[in-house]
Amino acid sequence: MKNIFNISMVALLVLVSACDDFDKYELPEANSIPDATPPQALFTAIQSEEVDNDGWKDFYFSNGSISATTYAWDFGDGNTSSDYEPRNKFSEEGTYTVSLTASDNNGLSNTLTKKVLVEEPPAPPVTDPVLINTVFDKLGKSSGSDCTCAGWINRSLGTQGESSTGNGSDVMKFDNNEPDHIYQEFEVTPNANYQIEVEVSFKANAGKSNPSSLEFRVLAGTGYDTGYTPTYYTETTAFPQDGYGYSSVAQTEVEANNLMTKVLNNPDDTSYIKYILNFNSGANNSVALFVRGIGGLATGSSDNERYGYSSGDEEIRIDNLVITAL
Amino acid sequence: MKSIRIIISVLVIFVFTSCEDYLEPVPTSVISGASFYADEAQLMQGVYNMYDGLQGANDTSSRSNHATQIEFYVTEMRSDNTRSKSGEGEAAQFDNLAVEATNGLIADHYRSFYNVIFRANTVLQNLGVASESNKAKIEGEAKFIRAYVYFNLVRLYGAIPLLDNVIGVNDDASYVRRPVADVYELIVSDLNSAVAGLDNSNGRNRATKAAAQGLLAKVHLTLGNYLEAQQLLESVMSGGFALEANFRDVFFNESNSEVIFSIGYSSGLALDSQNFSAEFLNGVGRTVGVNYVTDDAKAFMEANGGDRTVVSMRTDPIQPTQTQVIKFLPDGFDGGSDGKTFDFDARLAGNDWIVLRYADILLMHVEAIMGSSSETNAAAALASFQQVRDRAGLTDAVSSISKDDLLAERRAELAFENQRLYDIIRFGKGIDILGAYAVAIGANFTSNDLLLPFPQIEIGLSKGLLEQNPGY
Repeated sequence: MKNIFNISMVALLVLVSACDDFDKYELPEANSIPDATPPQALFTAIQSEEVDNDGWKDFYFSNGSISATTYAWDFGDGNTSSDYEPRNKFSEEGTYTVSLTASDNNGLSNTLTKKVLVEEPPAPPVTDPVLINTVFDKLGKSSGSDCTCAGWINRSLGTQGESSTGNGSDVMKFDNNEPDHIYQEFEVTPNANYQIEVEVSFKANAGKSNPSSLEFRVLAGTGYDTGYTPTYYTETTAFPQDGYGYSSVAQTEVEANNLMTKVLNNPDDTSYIKYILNFNSGANNSVALFVRGIGGLATGSSDNERYGYSSGDEEIRIDNLVITAL
Repeated sequence: MKSIRIIISVLVIFVFTSCEDYLEPVPTSVISGASFYADEAQLMQGVYNMYDGLQGANDTSSRSNHATQIEFYVTEMRSDNTRSKSGEGEAAQFDNLAVEATNGLIADHYRSFYNVIFRANTVLQNLGVASESNKAKIEGEAKFIRAYVYFNLVRLYGAIPLLDNVIGVNDDASYVRRPVADVYELIVSDLNSAVAGLDNSNGRNRATKAAAQGLLAKVHLTLGNYLEAQQLLESVMSGGFALEANFRDVFFNESNSEVIFSIGYSSGLALDSQNFSAEFLNGVGRTVGVNYVTDDAKAFMEANGGDRTVVSMRTDPIQPTQTQVIKFLPDGFDGGSDGKTFDFDARLAGNDWIVLRYADILLMHVEAIMGSSSETNAAAALASFQQVRDRAGLTDAVSSISKDDLLAERRAELAFENQRLYDIIRFGKGIDILGAYAVAIGANFTSNDLLLPFPQIEIGLSKGLLEQNPGY
């Protein structure tokens, strides 16, 4: 008898636990157990990349909602949709409040509201580069006396240009038989076309064996020394005068570093003549303009020997340098 | 009594130490993971092991890692370029943009490439045994491989588990999805190391500086860093690579001057060959034929391919209504009049899988210059674009390139090379193009189809840690 009683107990226990299981697997419907996986609305608005027909007004709404079966979209412009992933064309620019209500078949729902900015993507701007002291006024430097060359000195590449007057204002002078130069770095938009305008006056041809020429180089920012990041100064007194950017004349002469090389020869006209030079910035967001007098000997003075070049027998003056994006 | 206690203590210690040595001896007659990678020669075996992982196994076992040999399923066959011939079975899920988490091919692919990550991390973990002179190069090679794999995985799955060291079996890190930005951060940092540490002396079947620069350029294009991309590409362009004069030679004259990085296979060797060349034909491989050309791609190639069309595809000799990919004909043989008769085992083909070639570099150069604009007429871009078209016999001078022109040129040039899906998504056209394609073939597309589901077996093993992508 005792044995039988024990067996009954075991059977009873099994029944109770089986009842629990039965309840657990009851279909989730109204008035039943709670919906353990309520819907969650999630979406992303994706602007079309289409260029024509105001494609920027077209939006695709991707749906990442969880545990939902029906969807109600309100695009905030009067349009609605019940598609899983609808498209909507907005009529004009503006910020629209878009909402998605995701519902499941238990009557539960969840709403996500987002602000969607509809605007025409701006054309990538190509702005005129900013250079300092392009009219070559006599201004302060970080050290030394005021000079029209202020903002334009890199002592690794040459001796500083000289202050002078002419053309109705201060001008920059490249002395004869000296390695005078100007150098300045500026920011550009990659792969854009630029134009350099500059007014140049050569002294009358001296008729000697080494006539002067003026060489313009636009140097690639990728040619700067490794690890160097250019700083675009706004005051001439802030510019360093050495130890930045291009660090040797040889480096400026590497062909791959030159986006433009142009040599102006003496036009046998001493007036200020405007020249126009063009370059493309290529794979650079920074470039340097390097201008020097050439045609002379790399001997005759310690400076000439140090830099390995010099201007020829005539002085050259420049004024009013303007660089514009085309 | 005190003396006895002391003696017992000593005895106990003695027994423990001798037990450790006795129970865990370092085996001398077999290779053991614990003691391997003791010198650079062994580390180099670890390096080759990464490439072995990329190759994948050439067999039919569903337990093997097939890696690159099945990559076309998850890339090209999910695009508008190719489909299965029969439209049946697991393969057809890719055709119809209806991949399920239980699909065995994605489980194989996912498992294969995380195994390559493990192999790369193993090399990096044992860098200490490398000589100072070779260390940077070995590190660069491992980081290149790791970045290459993560770049593919992040584009296929989105946020993914990110492992940068060897982990144990119970480590949750293998299931925790990390933000896409974190994945790209590691990819960029790995490729920068690879560019710095590698040179171009490794040939085309192993990582080189040019390969790292080219791959990093593609990563930067994906991230919208156009200037960095352009600078890297121009560096590759000055590195002695050139387009093959004849388009066919790109694929059948291996290690030509156009190929920058390819995954190497050797013909006839069961352990080093591939079977995708056979699978692309009718009844040559294990399947009846997969990666067949869609009607959409066929019409596109006939209109835009130029000389490339007849090198890229042909009418199936047995089923003339079907079109086959022929860029990878087994060892270059066409299979005779029925397209399936070979006097060697075509399932042991030696065609390399090209990952990066010079035409891709030139077209990426155009993409970098175009940047966020919708078109370009920059001289440098036109020159690169024209080179690719000229080789295809399309010599009419191009004066302006739109984004659509560029995407079309990439489709024609790189057709069936597992680029199309990544390209349309990178160009922001994934939804438009696949949406329209789905309508044309009667399939159902949602933006969730741009990402693959995580394999159900991984979800299961993760005990709820690995979250599935939306829509699956």
